[in-house]
This record gives sequence, C-alpha cells and structure tokens, in this order.
Amino acid sequence: MQKFFSNKKLIILMILIIVTFGLLAVTVNIRDKKNTPPFVQQVGNDVVSVVGGVFAYPTNAVKNATSEFSDLYNTYSENKRLKSRIGELAQNQAKLEVVQDENKKLKQELKLNGTLTDYTTVNASVLSRSPSSWQSYLTINRGQTSGIKKNMPVMSGKGLIGRVIEVDKISSKVELISTDNELNDKFAAEISGSNNKNITGVVSRYDSSTGDLVMENVNSTKDIKKGQSVITSGLGGLTPRGLYIGKVYGIKKDNYGMTNSVYITPAAELRNFTVVTVIKSSVSGEN
Amino acid sequence: MNIKTRKIVGQVLFILFTFYLDGLMKWAFLNNMNHSVVIILPQIMLMAIIMLTMRIDDRRQLIIYGIVFGVMYDSYYYGIIGLYTILLPLVMVGIDHFKFLLVKNNMGYELSVYFLSLTFLQSGIYLLERLLQQTDTNVLNFITYTLGPTLLWNVVVFFILFIPLANLSEWLMKYRRDSK
Repeated sequence: MQKFFSNKKLIILMILIIVTFGLLAVTVNIRDKKNTPPFVQQVGNDVVSVVGGVFAYPTNAVKNATSEFSDLYNTYSENKRLKSRIGELAQNQAKLEVVQDENKKLKQELKLNGTLTDYTTVNASVLSRSPSSWQSYLTINRGQTSGIKKNMPVMSGKGLIGRVIEVDKISSKVELISTDNELNDKFAAEISGSNNKNITGVVSRYDSSTGDLVMENVNSTKDIKKGQSVITSGLGGLTPRGLYIGKVYGIKKDNYGMTNSVYITPAAELRNFTVVTVIKSSVSGEN
Repeated sequence: MNIKTRKIVGQVLFILFTFYLDGLMKWAFLNNMNHSVVIILPQIMLMAIIMLTMRIDDRRQLIIYGIVFGVMYDSYYYGIIGLYTILLPLVMVGIDHFKFLLVKNNMGYELSVYFLSLTFLQSGIYLLERLLQQTDTNVLNFITYTLGPTLLWNVVVFFILFIPLANLSEWLMKYRRDSK
C-alpha cells in the first residue's frame, strides 16, 4: 500500500479519470434535468458570447451578403411567381384579420385565456455553431432576460429548426432538429389533411443521408399524400400548435415491416439564415 | 506592463481569436445542416495551441492554458464540461514531454504532431460521448464520416495557415531569446 501511494504518476492518472467522469456526469445531468446551468457557467458563457458577438456580426453580414448575391440569380422567375400570389395574399390577410378578431371575441365569450395556438415571439441573431459532431448547437444572443426558457421551439424564416436546450442570462443554445441525439429532438406533429381527420405522430428522427425528418408513431397512414404540410400539433404542451415543419415526402415501412414512418422534407433551409425566432408559448403550466 | 506580460496577453488573444474562429468557420462555411452526411469540424484553436506548445517551455503555463481554454470550449460549444477540459491539457503535456525529440520549426514535424493530437482528441471525445450515451454513431461511421473528413480539412487548412501561424507564435515567444 505504501508503495502504491508513492507512485505519483499513478495517483495523478487516477485523479484525472475520477475528475473526468465526475465532471462529465454532473454536467450531463445538469443539462438534462435542470432548467439552467450553474450560475458560474451562465456568466462564463455570457461573457464569451458577448465577446463572440464582435466576431459574429461581421461574419453574419458577409453571410447575408453572399446569400443575397445568390438570390439575385433567380430573382426574375421568383418575381413572376410571387406577383401571381400577391392578390391572393391580400385577400388572405383580410380574411385572417377577420378570423383572428372573431377568434378573440369567441375566446372572450368562452373565457379562454390561452389556447395551444397562442404564442409570442422573440427574435435573436446567431453567434456561432458548435464545432462538434453530436452537439449541433447554435448559440443565439438572447437569454433569460428576454424571457427565453428551456425547451422553447425555435424557427428560422420558413419553418421549425430546433429547440432551446440551454439558457444563460443573455445567450442561449439551440439544439437543431437535425441531431442524432435520441433524447431531445422530438416534436409532436400532425399532418394537416384536406379532410378534417387529424393524423398525428412524433417527429423523432433525422435521416442524415437524405436530409429528411422522420415522423414516427403515426396513427394512420391511409390518407397521407406527398406534399401535404406537417405542423406541430401542440400535444405534450411544450410547443404551441401550428408551427410549420415541412412537407410530406413519402412513407416508408421500417426494417421489420411493422410501423410506417413518414418522411418529411424540412421547410427551413437549414443553411442560409442569420436570425432565428424563439417561440414563447402562452399556455401556462409548462416550463 | 513588461514585455513578458505583454507577450502572454498576446498569446491569450491569439488563442481566443482562433477559439471564435472555430465556431464561426463551422457556422459560415461548414454549416451542412440539410445534408449532414459528412461532418467537418474546424479545429483551428488546436492548431494555435499546438504551435504555442511546441515553443513554450513552461509546463505550468501550458497546463493553465489547456484547462482555461478547455473549460471555455466545453462550456460554450459543447455544453458538457470534461471533454476538452481534460483532453486538451493531456495533449499539451504529451507534446511538451516529447518535443525534445523534434526539430523545431519544421513543418513536417508540426503537421504530424497536429495530426496525431487531432486524432487523439477527436477519438477521445467520441469515446467519452459514446460512454455517456450522447451519441449512438458506431465506430466505422465515426471514422468515415467525422474523423476522416475532419482530418483532411484541417490538414489542408494547416498547410495554408502554417506560415502565418508559425511566424505569429514565434513572435509571441520571442522575449525568451531576448532575455536569455
């Protein structure tokens, strides 16, 4: 025993291993179970993110400029297509206003304070993306002070891109929907069909080889057609109803032929954006 | 501020800059979110740290750099503390231990040291994450889709950035020769 403890290198190695696993286990647990990381880590991350902003803003400017440049190529055809939609849009907007007004009055009548479709938004700009294979996080420049909480869904311009996984005081991390992580990237979704029957399921996987999201536990695949849009269903309470996820691409059976999975082409172009929108659900009782 | 403190501030700023460069590179150029078959991880901070490790002789200073920037990297990018925090100082001490064998200022040596450290670091991270069930990628997929492309990309970048980075880290260490 005397000899064992006199071996300095062995003791250092032992302490190193204990410290490594201790730190890892504690931080993974904190990330999974607590709403916020420890105060010291929050402050540290905030300081790093504030300084990071100095580098991020010019990068984002360049990124915007390059994407504008590529937009310029297909402006003509896009313009033509958009012009044909403008008339439709004005009509839809007028209709939306009337319907929203009606909805509000009816809610008052029923004394409903918030429903699954109600939400407010916070815009944030992206500071960086983690250089990591399995933690595909974006760091954004809004945090607790802007009312962001863990597990809030995040959208880019067109559709859902992920969920807030860590909140600091003035910055937070967003886990992208295209992550391999088995635990966190699940969204309750529904396929909005032409008839009234709701088809619900859980968007639970990401097929990295095709770039499609996979919706599992679908209650019926009978009426699903290619091109139908998929939205969040608001079931489970974490996500409000009606956030656009993508379009149905196809249906595949799993390897055992037991269940059907619906493959969804994500609506969000997960590449060219610099600003994201955090969705704050206004239904109480969720955190 | 004496020259030594000034150079240390310079070294810290140098590492800090490359620290942010990692995240921004990933965000701006390697942001393969829609078709993420191949995952490339920019590791420019590791480049800077290895360049400095090859030139700094003070082991205590190296360990402090390793732990401080390791904790920052873990906390800011990974959200899990204990990956870079442990592996980065280990790499640095390892290089410091064996660098008497190497000829200084030789690109081939520095490249192979960088290559080995990157492999060690990424494999270590993979093993730890696998152990903690943060990923379910198997070993072959990890080597094909993550380790391989990462090594390739970083080695190419190393070739491009070698001369400026080596000159900069040489300059950031120069006070030793003056004082000796």
